[in-house]
Amino acid sequence: MDYQAHRETFERTKLAKEVLANCNLCPRQCGVNRTTGEKGYCGLDDTVRCFREMLYCGEENELNPSHQIHFAGCNLRCEFCVVSEWNEKPTAAEKIDFDKMVKRIQDRQSQGARTLNFLGGEPAVNLHGILELLGRIKPEIKVVWNSNMYYNDIIDKLTTGLIDVYLADFKCGNNKCAEGMLSASDYMEIVKENILKAAKHADVIIRHVIMPGHSRCCLKPIFEWVVDKLPDVKLSLRDNYVPPVQVVSASAGYLTQKEMQNAVGLAESMGLNLIK
Amino acid sequence: MKKTPYKRKPGDFEIRILKNGKVVMVAPDETLVEIAQQVNPKHGATHNKTEIKENVRSKKGQAE
Repeated sequence: MDYQAHRETFERTKLAKEVLANCNLCPRQCGVNRTTGEKGYCGLDDTVRCFREMLYCGEENELNPSHQIHFAGCNLRCEFCVVSEWNEKPTAAEKIDFDKMVKRIQDRQSQGARTLNFLGGEPAVNLHGILELLGRIKPEIKVVWNSNMYYNDIIDKLTTGLIDVYLADFKCGNNKCAEGMLSASDYMEIVKENILKAAKHADVIIRHVIMPGHSRCCLKPIFEWVVDKLPDVKLSLRDNYVPPVQVVSASAGYLTQKEMQNAVGLAESMGLNLIK
Repeated sequence: MKKTPYKRKPGDFEIRILKNGKVVMVAPDETLVEIAQQVNPKHGATHNKTEIKENVRSKKGQAE
């Protein structure tokens, strides 16, 4: 975390809270007044809610052990979401007690956490809460923004200098798949732009959960874009796709070992900077 | 048995047993991850206590 940015967290939190009065944090542009209890697409008012926090070793090796803080609420509706119950009903999660969470962060650091990992749901729709937390912790902690990257410019502006690693979950390689599986027809343009912006001021890891049957339409276009725009960026391929119980647009099956090998082979042949 | 599959509610956990015998824990919490570690210590995505201990040691070393 940058020390100057850390000193600005109070002001940035104030700005983020002001945005909630006419919420346009993300491309859904709901325009609701979250400060009066109105809820937009993400289902959140101005309360900040956490449904899980844990020390986890299943992230990319360089981030482990990672202290994950899962915020409720999301601006995408991924058909294959493994925590969809919390995103559909984010207010079912407990409100964050900031004092207790700060203590928890300290405890997790002493238990061995190498990184503090904000995820969800989606951290972007919880920006004000995250900034408030960041203002209360030591700037020496390495912070990970584990995000779908589907957000408006204000997120990048207010997180610049505070985030060490943007762990960008690049899900689909074209808008048709994104519309069907994520309910976001403008997904590609927005996510690409945000990844490029993040790469200008922080480390970026692009993570792609390999979707069975989406090699040509999603995996390959993502690889091609990375080679073209960010050839040195770290790319993490994940094999943990879990099909939804009721399939509409998403893949119905689990990833096979062959599909995983093909994906890794393609990435290597394209000279991508694969990490584990 | 219901015709429609059960939809997870906040607070539920889902464990699937696949035809090939593989067990999939959907978005497990820390306790479930620890159970998986006990059942199969070599599992890649589980809570690696050795790694955590090493990191605590290295942090203490840095502090000293």
